[in-house]
Amino acid sequence: MKAIDVQNLVKEYRRTDGTLLRAVDDISFSVERGSIFGLLGPNGAGKSTTIKVLTTLIPPTSGTMLINGYDVVRQPLDVRKNLCVVLQENSVEVFLTVRHNFLTFGKFHGMTSSQIEAKMGRVIELFDLREVMNQKPIDLSGGIKRRVQVAKIFLVDKPVVFLDEATTGMDTFNKRATVAAIREEAQRGRTIILTTHTLEEAEELCNAIAIINHGKIVAGGTTDEVKKMGLQLFYLSLKFNEMGKELEELIQKFAPVKIDIVNNEVSVTVREHGLALNILSLAQSTGALKHFEISTASLEDVFVELIDGKSTTGDR
Amino acid sequence: MKNVLAVVYRDALIRLTSLTWLFFDMAVPLLYLLMFGVGFNKAVGLGVISNGASVAYNDFFLAGVLSMSCFGSAINQAYGFFVDRDNGIFYEFLTYPMTRGEFLLGKMVFQCVMSLAQTALTLTAAVVILGIPVNVMLLPLTVIVVMAGIAGWFFALSIVAFRIKRNDTFNTVINVAYFVLMFVSSMFYPLDAVPDWLRYISYANPLTWHTDVLRYLTVGIGSSAAIAAETFGFTAFLFISFWFAQLALKKTV
Repeated sequence: MKAIDVQNLVKEYRRTDGTLLRAVDDISFSVERGSIFGLLGPNGAGKSTTIKVLTTLIPPTSGTMLINGYDVVRQPLDVRKNLCVVLQENSVEVFLTVRHNFLTFGKFHGMTSSQIEAKMGRVIELFDLREVMNQKPIDLSGGIKRRVQVAKIFLVDKPVVFLDEATTGMDTFNKRATVAAIREEAQRGRTIILTTHTLEEAEELCNAIAIINHGKIVAGGTTDEVKKMGLQLFYLSLKFNEMGKELEELIQKFAPVKIDIVNNEVSVTVREHGLALNILSLAQSTGALKHFEISTASLEDVFVELIDGKSTTGDR
Repeated sequence: MKNVLAVVYRDALIRLTSLTWLFFDMAVPLLYLLMFGVGFNKAVGLGVISNGASVAYNDFFLAGVLSMSCFGSAINQAYGFFVDRDNGIFYEFLTYPMTRGEFLLGKMVFQCVMSLAQTALTLTAAVVILGIPVNVMLLPLTVIVVMAGIAGWFFALSIVAFRIKRNDTFNTVINVAYFVLMFVSSMFYPLDAVPDWLRYISYANPLTWHTDVLRYLTVGIGSSAAIAAETFGFTAFLFISFWFAQLALKKTV
C-alpha cells in the first residue's frame, strides 16, 4: 500500500464573477512509504491547493485521494490521525511560550505531558530553541517563529508529514538542520511530501518529484528521471579574466535555455551537447577564458525549461 | 473527550496569558449589575411591572445581566477565530486529529467553565450587595441555562465568524446585531407594556427566551407554560446553531 495515492484530483473554485477557476486539473501521483516526495511549481501552480485537499482542509471537486489507505473525503478524521502539517502560512501560538506551543501541539495529537516532555529535548536541540523556550513567538523573529512551527511536527510520530514551503524564512544554518532532520525522519519510515521554491533543496532531499504548472503535472518521476526527461539540457560555466559585452550577444545566437552573467562569469544552459561545445570554443577564441565546466543540467534548469520553455537573462 | 479537553487546555493557557482580559471577563457582568442596575433601580423607584406583578428593577435586571454576559462571552470566543486566523494557527487546528464538532465543543466548554466563575460572582453580588432574592434551590438549573446560553450564542456567532472573513466586517455586523437583539428583547424592560409589534418581534428573539428562562429560575417571574415553550425554543436554537456551525467550519477555508 502506498502512503499517498492521488487519482484524478480536480479542484475548482468559483470566482467572484461566477466563472470557474480550475486550480488543480486532473492530477495523479503516488508516494511510497518512507520516501520524500517534492511537489514543485511556480506560485499559483496548484501545490498548496493540492496539500489543502490532502490534509482535509478543503474538499476536492472530484478524484480519489488516499492517505495511508484512508479516503480523504469519506474518512477525514482517520486521514488527520495519520498526518501532520506545516502550512505555508505562519502558524504558531504567538501569545504562548515556545514550550506551551509544544505542549498544546502534542496534546492535540493525543500525547500526554510526560510523553511531550520526553520528546521535547531532541526537538529543542535539533532546532536550537533552548534559549527561546520560555519566550513568546510574538517577541521572536520571523525565522525563529518558522523554526518553532516546523519543530512541532518532529514532536509527534505521524506517518505522513506535509511540509508546505517549510524552510521559507530560515537562515542557511537552520535550513541545513531542517533538511537533515527531514531526511532523518524519512529514514525512520515517515513519508514526507514537501513543496519548495528552493530547487536545490528538492534535488538534495527528494526521492521523487512532480512538477506542477497551471494545475497540471508537467513532469514526474524520480529526481534523475525528471532531469533526464528527454530535455538533454547541458550547463556550461565560464569564467573570464575580462569579458566584452559582445560575447553575450554571440552566445544568445545559440538560443540558450538560460543565461546568467555576473561580472566576468557566465552560466549558460543549452539543449544540446554540441551547442555547449560550440559556446566553449567561442569562449576560448576570446583568449580571456580562465576556467570552464560542463555538466548536465540541474533540476532548476529543467524546472525553468518545463515551466517557461524560453530563455531568460539576468543576474544570479 | 480527549480532543475537547485539548482545546480547553489551549484556550485556558491563552486566557491566562492576559490577566487584564481575565479580570474584565469576570467583572463586566458585575459592573453592569452594580452600576446600570443600581442606577435604574433608583430611577424607576417602585420597580417595574412584569407578568402582572411589581418587582424591583434590580431583581428584574439580574437575568438580563446573566444573559447579556452569555452573549458577550460568546462574542469574545467567536472573535477569537479571527485572532487565530490572523496568526495562521486556525487552519493548522483544522488539520489536527479531531472532528470539527469536537473543536467547537472544546471552545464552548472552555467558555462555559469561565461563565461558571462569572455567574457565581454575579449571583453572589446580587444576593449579598443588592439583596436580590435569588432562588438558591434552582441554582444548578440556572447554571445549566447559563451554559446553554453561551453554547447557543457561541455556535450561532461562530457561523457568522466562519462566513465573514474580515474582522472589521464581523465587528460591525455583531455590533448592530448586539444592539438590536438586546433592545428587542426582555433584557432591559418587561415586554408587558411595549407596543404589540415590538412584543411580537421580541418573542421571536432567542435572547428573550434565554433571558425569560433565567428570570424564572433566579427570581421566579414568568408563567411555567411560557417558560417551557421558551426553553424548547432555545434548545432547538442551540442544536440548530451547532449543526450549522459545523457546516460553516467545514467550508471556512
